[in-house]
Amino acid sequence: MNVLVLSGYGINCENETLHAFEVVGFKGKIIHINDLIQNPKQLNNYQVFAIPGGFSYGDDTGSGNAMAKKIMTNLYDQLTDFSLKDKLIIGICNGCQILINLGLVPSLNKKDPEVALIENKSGSYECRWVDIKVSNNKSPWLKNISTLNLPVAHQEGQFMIPINLLKSIKANNLIGLQYINHHKKLAKGQFPFNPNGSKDDIAALTNQNGNVLAMMPHPERAFYHYHIPNWQSKTLKKFADGYKIFMNAKKFFA
Amino acid sequence: MTNTIQILSIEKTGKESSLQKEHNNKSIKIINGYFFSRNLDDQKFTKISKLISNDVSQTILTKKNVNKVLSSYSNFNWVVEIKFLPGVTDNIATTVKEIIKDNLKSSFKSFELGSTKIILIKGRKEDITKISKNEANPLIQTIKIYPFKKYLNNFKKNQFKIEKVKLPKKKYSKKEINLNISDHQLSLIGKLGIEENDKSRRGTLGLDLESLKAIRNYFFTIKRKPTDVEIETLAQTWSEHCKHKIFSAKIDDIHEGIFKKYIKGATEKIIQLRKDNFCVSLFTDNAGGIEFNKDWIICHKVETHNTPSALDPFGGAITGIVGVNRDCLGFGKGAKPIANTYAYYLADPNKNYQLYRQKNSKDPMLPANFIAKGIISGVRVGGNCSGIPTPQGNVYFDDRFAGKPLVFCGTVGIIPKKIKGKLSHKKKANPGDIILMAGGRVGKDGIHGATFSSEELDPNSPVSAVQIGDPITQKKMSDVIIRELRDENLYSSITDNGAGGLSSSIGEMAKESGGFIVNLEKIPLKYNGLYPWEIWVSESQERMTLAVPPKNVKKVIKRFNARGVEATIIGKFIKKEKAIVKYNKTEILNLDMEFLHEGYPKLNLKTSFPKIKKEKKKIIKKSSLIDKLHKLLSSPNIVSKEFIATQYDHEVQATSIIKPLQGEGRVFGNATAIKPLFDDEKSIALSQAAYPQYAETNPYDMAGCSIDTAYKNLIVSGANSKKIAILDNFCWCSSDEPDRLYQLKEAAKACYDYAVAYQTPFISGKDSMFNDFKGFDKTGKSVKISIPPTLLISSIGVVNKISHLTKIIPDDGDILLVLGATRNELQDSVYSKIIGYEKSKNPDVNSKNALRTYRNFEKANKLGIINSAIGIDLGGIGIAVTKMAIASKKGFTIDLKLKNKISVDQFLFSETQSRILVSLKKNKLANFKKIFKASDYTIIGKCTGSDIIEFKDNKKIMRGKISDFAKSYKQKIKGL
Repeated sequence: MNVLVLSGYGINCENETLHAFEVVGFKGKIIHINDLIQNPKQLNNYQVFAIPGGFSYGDDTGSGNAMAKKIMTNLYDQLTDFSLKDKLIIGICNGCQILINLGLVPSLNKKDPEVALIENKSGSYECRWVDIKVSNNKSPWLKNISTLNLPVAHQEGQFMIPINLLKSIKANNLIGLQYINHHKKLAKGQFPFNPNGSKDDIAALTNQNGNVLAMMPHPERAFYHYHIPNWQSKTLKKFADGYKIFMNAKKFFA
Repeated sequence: MTNTIQILSIEKTGKESSLQKEHNNKSIKIINGYFFSRNLDDQKFTKISKLISNDVSQTILTKKNVNKVLSSYSNFNWVVEIKFLPGVTDNIATTVKEIIKDNLKSSFKSFELGSTKIILIKGRKEDITKISKNEANPLIQTIKIYPFKKYLNNFKKNQFKIEKVKLPKKKYSKKEINLNISDHQLSLIGKLGIEENDKSRRGTLGLDLESLKAIRNYFFTIKRKPTDVEIETLAQTWSEHCKHKIFSAKIDDIHEGIFKKYIKGATEKIIQLRKDNFCVSLFTDNAGGIEFNKDWIICHKVETHNTPSALDPFGGAITGIVGVNRDCLGFGKGAKPIANTYAYYLADPNKNYQLYRQKNSKDPMLPANFIAKGIISGVRVGGNCSGIPTPQGNVYFDDRFAGKPLVFCGTVGIIPKKIKGKLSHKKKANPGDIILMAGGRVGKDGIHGATFSSEELDPNSPVSAVQIGDPITQKKMSDVIIRELRDENLYSSITDNGAGGLSSSIGEMAKESGGFIVNLEKIPLKYNGLYPWEIWVSESQERMTLAVPPKNVKKVIKRFNARGVEATIIGKFIKKEKAIVKYNKTEILNLDMEFLHEGYPKLNLKTSFPKIKKEKKKIIKKSSLIDKLHKLLSSPNIVSKEFIATQYDHEVQATSIIKPLQGEGRVFGNATAIKPLFDDEKSIALSQAAYPQYAETNPYDMAGCSIDTAYKNLIVSGANSKKIAILDNFCWCSSDEPDRLYQLKEAAKACYDYAVAYQTPFISGKDSMFNDFKGFDKTGKSVKISIPPTLLISSIGVVNKISHLTKIIPDDGDILLVLGATRNELQDSVYSKIIGYEKSKNPDVNSKNALRTYRNFEKANKLGIINSAIGIDLGGIGIAVTKMAIASKKGFTIDLKLKNKISVDQFLFSETQSRILVSLKKNKLANFKKIFKASDYTIIGKCTGSDIIEFKDNKKIMRGKISDFAKSYKQKIKGL
């Protein structure tokens, strides 16, 4: 089981993302986008493609846009191929923004992006922990998980989806994660439970196969128990909630 | 055909809604515009538009749709067009260019473009002017206001323009400067700069008459005239910013100067006493390094960026933070930045100070809220974009920062002890090594930064002194250095290009080899037309200088280039102790290294005892205890800074282990911790403290309190007392006045005394000595505003085990205790400012008593006796108790039947130092008493777990709801 963790141009969560995969049993490598463009065939050596969080191109022209355009120009076919195989793709935070801009998620009409991630309703960057529920158990990434407590850290995390498309997203069960309040009910847009004002409290979307997951929260930052806020006053197991997502990837190939 | 692409967000953006709210005007819309130097045909327009916009969330304006699209939002009548001034770094434009070049490959060569913010408004012209003032900074941007009709017309007629940098075409001929002139003329060179042929002046050199005379003498001995480049270089190298002349000067009877005697002296004394390997690299490098564990070193550096932040708050702050990141990259062979810290000392953002640099209300200081907001966002963008967590910081407000804000930016880095078997903190440029400049290009930005930050802010402060940060370019460069070069030992030395640019970095590094030869024409420029001296001293950001053995040069350049980073050979290091600079083969600088670095005249300073301004007696406002608590909690210096913590990514790198917001009730903590390695449970605790409010009363105690608090916060967090180091950042005012120098000497003396007492070495420091504003108020009266002397002490410590990290949340039934004695020390406290005070004194620190408390606390904590803890500082016990209750959402009963001669208010609000509020489980009290003497603590109450805090004195019971306290504590700071 091999994971390719993408880096370059301001992506910055590659170390902790790779670490999370390694702990659950993957072998992995951080590969710079330019090296991948030079030699796209190396994708064949990997079963998981991970785009970590960060600030590719400083969010200029919209978060994830510039990197998505670079991938579209140079690697689009290879990555689409990858997504159509029995392999997994995950985009976290900036990676999520990149996947959405590439149109690999939700990918209902193929090609062109159908969904946008726009600025948080609060107008400011939000670094905070949120509760989310899994709304789609068919994605291998999300199997057998009910709720998660994870941090978000973004300026542009509000899913904007045209009404018709939202209907088909729901009909196809492509909403991966949704923000919930402390009564474990949907946040209904209420801040800070829904940190960005996302439509239908959406925190993640998948493609139709469920093998591509685009999520705004950071599972790799909620990996060990001591990552959890105020962990000292809680009784906890060794791993925090983010671990479950990486474990699911392992189970998929096991 | 068109020459502009303009993009509109369909839904209201956060920025739009905050503008609408702020100006109470619903008809505001922002357009992201790009102006091109060439016309785009329809096909290219469509293609490029698609590349830089989003189909789902944005609309692209065209000649055809512009009127219709915009009229669907409002009936706009005014337009504000904000562009960068030519030559100012435009990061968005750079990205757009890259996207276009990558996608269109060769079909769209050589073009220029500029990004523009266009604000559409319906309103009166006065309001529009106000909005534009709040949205742009004339120092770096042009602002055009024109009617909406004209905008539509511009659109139709392709009249959007991008201005290129048009520097006069100048052929360089070597310029020699005659220094055999009158003292008056000589000092004009120092104050206003070298005279150009057209009689204009280049801008301040910050050289005093004595220094210019020393330069004259040197050139008299070597029998030639100096070149302009030589004088500029000496000005940079000898600046207060680079040489710290005041700290190294003879002062009264201290011949070696206060740095050697008190700061370095303290550290040397401590090293001598400790006999361990804790201190690794001190004072000599870009940052100070200490041992983290057997394989790793951590380094820490804190810088100030005050003057740039006064002129361009966003730009000043972002370059402050990315600049100090480079100090870590330039530590030893290159440490990876793993945490940022910040501390801002600001004027009240809700006040309009109306200060002007020139008479007749000309050249205004930026509004206090503009400065505050700009600084906060600058560090946000710098830190977040670089992927470095920013967990630790604080903000303090005082009117005396109206003339100059203080912006402290710090970074912690980590590096393996050994790289390929060699000690990583040792570096040496060898003769023959190539000088390689990597990262961004050089432009006019930041010219004269080093010389002017050593001067007071007045009408002659040069505007080109502003730099714009580009964190992504730096991130790309940093990744190559840390991941692809360092661990193969491909270079022999590395340093950062900060103040003074290449003249400084190469000048410093060449000390390792002997000297250097640089060819200025090799240096890549942002645009043509820079004079050689400008290239040499430019402070354009995001550059590192490396010394690379010739055999590795090709490989190093190739690796940089493969990641989209420029790297250029610009010269070589030599053995001869000479500094030589050439421009197209003409030698324009040739100085002895010894003179370059040590030729400046040493100062001889005298101090005098200042008049102490006694705090005026203020009538105590009669109000209930609960009411007083609310007033203090909501006061700007105590109120929660959560809004900053949540916009600074403190989780990136997955190391955050004690977060800035603590407890379920999210109290803004005064220490944080990160766990930097996946395979070691050791953590790094960080804190900082400064007490400018005590400075005028007693600078010695001010410094003592700063060290005590910064140290205490780490002890309270669970750090190992033997593994704590501190950093000093002195921000002073009018440092040419004997009474200010007296305060400086006193503060430095306290630094020695307390650092030695606490065994905390100073590992790095910086000073900024002239934080004064000289100008005019709105009536034209001349005013001088000096900051209160401010000494920021940053503390960094190692926490041995995760289980040692403390928490702020007590359990129901816990006993509450205050460790350390409480005295009547209300002078200069938050209480005295808000409520009033009678007879009191300022806090001082008794290090013996303090250390007893800290050692006992550490012991008790390791034994698991302490259940929760919080350091007591601003607002005293009253605020500490309330914060603990807010954090834990658990109520207390507090017993105020006091035995000592101290009133309830004195007990609750005194800011006596060296105290900790702790809670214990009842069954631990016996063990606790085995460690603590009865006179070293006071039991003040217990945790009830209810939703109220109850204070009981002899007469009555006063109650306050925790949720109400939380509301006061979380109030928005007015003006922000």
